[in-house]
Amino acid sequence: MAIITISRGSYSKGKEVAEKIAFRLGYRCISREVLLDASEHFHIPEIKLVRAIHDAPSILDRFSHSQQAFIAYIRYALVQYVKEDNVVYHGLAGHLLLKGIPHVLKVRVIADLADRVRAEMKREMISEEEARSLLLKDDEERRKWTYALYGADPWDSSLYDLVVHVHKLTIEDAVEIISDAAVRAPFKTAKQVQQKMDDYGMACQLKAGLAHSFDNVGVKSEYGNILVYAKGNEHHVQRVRKKAKEIAGKMEGINELEVHAAHKLPPNFV
Amino acid sequence: MQPLTTQMILVMVMIGIAIFLFIVEWIRVDVVAILMMVALPLLHLVTPKEAFSGMSSNAVISIIAVIIIGAGLDKTGLINRLVGPILRIAGTSKSRVVIAISVTVAGISSFMQNIGAAALFLPAIQRISKTTKIPLSQLLMPIGFSAILGGTITLVGCSPLILLNDLLEPFGLKPFHLFDVTPIGLALVASGLACFILLGRFILPQGSAESDEEESQDFLKNTLIEMGESYEIQTPVNYTDYREPVLVDDLKRRYLVNVLAMTEPPDFKVLSPTGDQEVRSDVHLLVYGRKKDIQRMVEVEEMRLKEAPDIFKGETEEGASGTVEAVVAPRSSLIGKTLREINLQDRFRVTPLAIYRGEEAYRAEIGDVPLSVGDAILIHGEWKRLQVLQHERSLLFTTPIDVELLRPEKAIFAGFWLAVALSMVLIFNIQLSVSLMTGALGMVVTRVLSIDEAYQSVDWRTIFLLAGLIPLGIATEKTGTAAWIAHAILCAIGDVQPIVLLTVIGVLSTIFTLVISNVGATVLLVPLVVNMAIAAHVDPRMAALVVGLATSNSFMLPTHQVNALYMGPGRYRSVDFMKAGLVISIVFIVVMIGMIKLIYGV
Repeated sequence: MAIITISRGSYSKGKEVAEKIAFRLGYRCISREVLLDASEHFHIPEIKLVRAIHDAPSILDRFSHSQQAFIAYIRYALVQYVKEDNVVYHGLAGHLLLKGIPHVLKVRVIADLADRVRAEMKREMISEEEARSLLLKDDEERRKWTYALYGADPWDSSLYDLVVHVHKLTIEDAVEIISDAAVRAPFKTAKQVQQKMDDYGMACQLKAGLAHSFDNVGVKSEYGNILVYAKGNEHHVQRVRKKAKEIAGKMEGINELEVHAAHKLPPNFV
Repeated sequence: MQPLTTQMILVMVMIGIAIFLFIVEWIRVDVVAILMMVALPLLHLVTPKEAFSGMSSNAVISIIAVIIIGAGLDKTGLINRLVGPILRIAGTSKSRVVIAISVTVAGISSFMQNIGAAALFLPAIQRISKTTKIPLSQLLMPIGFSAILGGTITLVGCSPLILLNDLLEPFGLKPFHLFDVTPIGLALVASGLACFILLGRFILPQGSAESDEEESQDFLKNTLIEMGESYEIQTPVNYTDYREPVLVDDLKRRYLVNVLAMTEPPDFKVLSPTGDQEVRSDVHLLVYGRKKDIQRMVEVEEMRLKEAPDIFKGETEEGASGTVEAVVAPRSSLIGKTLREINLQDRFRVTPLAIYRGEEAYRAEIGDVPLSVGDAILIHGEWKRLQVLQHERSLLFTTPIDVELLRPEKAIFAGFWLAVALSMVLIFNIQLSVSLMTGALGMVVTRVLSIDEAYQSVDWRTIFLLAGLIPLGIATEKTGTAAWIAHAILCAIGDVQPIVLLTVIGVLSTIFTLVISNVGATVLLVPLVVNMAIAAHVDPRMAALVVGLATSNSFMLPTHQVNALYMGPGRYRSVDFMKAGLVISIVFIVVMIGMIKLIYGV
């Protein structure tokens, strides 16, 4: 009864670890499914979604409107899986996309650069030099992405509950340690936690609906009271309000919906 | 024609700076006025004595006295008591509601500050709108415009008219009497109202919240209709045993329920508890919220809802505490700040419950909403605490604060002193400032209001705006700048009919008052038009009167304080003011010129 996110760099063995945990605990292992679902649900080519969630923002550390929207779509799709519980997600940025859910076990799996270079050389049939530069570039992109969106460095260990270095510890060791952690009390889906899950799901759904037409919109839900913050003048807020009410009319479990004008969007908003 | 001197150029530069600052509003208008008061003597354009002569002018003294008299009338609840009967007369027909309230507001506005009269009726109008389902936007604009028009009924109705006699003095012209303008003012109010009654459907915004969309879910409906109520609830004995700590703020966020008071073992009562206080087991809470929210909370949190207040019976009684609506006034220091920054809870021990902006009701996380002009904040607290808040004067209290704080027994004195002041002006022909100050003093002596209350009621921004701009008028006249510009304009347009000249002056004043404040427009234009009138052989008093009246012709943009106040609640856009304002402004000028011709035979 848990949700595990595994954050990893390329060729860091994270995928194998994730798959083995899922097998061992009988959980569902997801990664690309999320993108496929988002792509299908919102009619966006998968490649665009991949770019939005992988590539660093272009200029001035800002995401474009469409990138923001795509991230909202991916998050919505991910939350749909997570709501069913018992999942291991090893796609990108899981620990950040699910920030609003308290009982997620956030794991980072890392490996030595030399091991990773070797793995990449073998798979892609490229020189060591090339492999190394590709990996470093990839890591840098991730770093920038996370920083622009969440102001955090993916290598900051305080973002995770557990960081496992697969080198001296084998993949099997890692699987055992993580599986052991996952069944502990804080990661069980209790009743209050269910409420937070539902709230987060609603917030993500509304945000995904709004993200198509508006950027700089933040959504939060608590016990079915949805609060939307929109940056801009009163006229803009009015438009957001109209759209939000339209979307909310088709959603279930909403108690109240308010749309406020705000100078800046609080970090705990979706 | 006189040659253009350096001093004239300097005065024109100063006028230019003043107008520029009025428009861009980098600094507040009253500060611009003080800047003029200081800069003009430094440039040797006026003597130091003249620079501060505005402070001792009849206009300034009159306005102080008018404000004190208005505050006195307000204190006795004399005006508040009008609201009930007026509403009964008004019934539910839209035209009757508009006429009844507009006429009353115009009447009050004729001897009180326009904004005060407009603010007084705001909550009542909101109530009527809700009960009769007449959209607020159909009511507020006619009533707001009437408040402005009502200012032209007497010579003390608005700042430009109060100022007029002072500006005429240097020319040795006969001053106006208190009621000289009354026929014109009444005609203006009547024509304004007639416009709204006859053309209302063309010039008023027609949008109605009810007809917008018909949805089934609760939160989509117009939330304003459903106000909250206070309830008393009790937490179970084992409340904290099996759940995470619940804070006062949690209840607010999760259920939109405000905790007004809470018991604290053994037998303490905490009023307006702060958000970080924990809700313990087996305590009694006084909460405020909508019935459905309260029920939801009681159900989920397994609390017990009591039939009627029991522990907090004393606190909920009429005389002890209550809920008021306070509007963020134009030029208030609170504009742009959030309730969290203002910190009402800690400073005044009152609880803000909701913010109403236009048709939207904000209940969730209202601490983070940046306030803007016209926002109505619903506040609960003990009356005495609310009174302290009211004294701070950054919020306009639209709900009359408890009867106990009013002094209805003094109503007769208040009425008496108003009558004394008026009869001194009318019968004994004593100067306006002296008569009004006598009335104000009378109210203080008979304890309608204390002298400190009288001092506090004076709005120093208005006083300094008036006093600071008067030397600019003096400089314009003394240096011959006014005469020079007047001649230049007359040379350019050639000989004109008196009626045409007055109309041009009316239009000019209207434009000026929209861009710079009405006081600024009056001070700048009166010396100019008097010179023009003398040169064109038109009665200069009439020219000045046109300026005094037409500076109230401020309808096309929401720059007038009353319009700014009503813009939010009425959910008007600037274009709404332009549409209705254009019609009213044209009618205003036509009626004004017509009445002046009729009465004074220009």
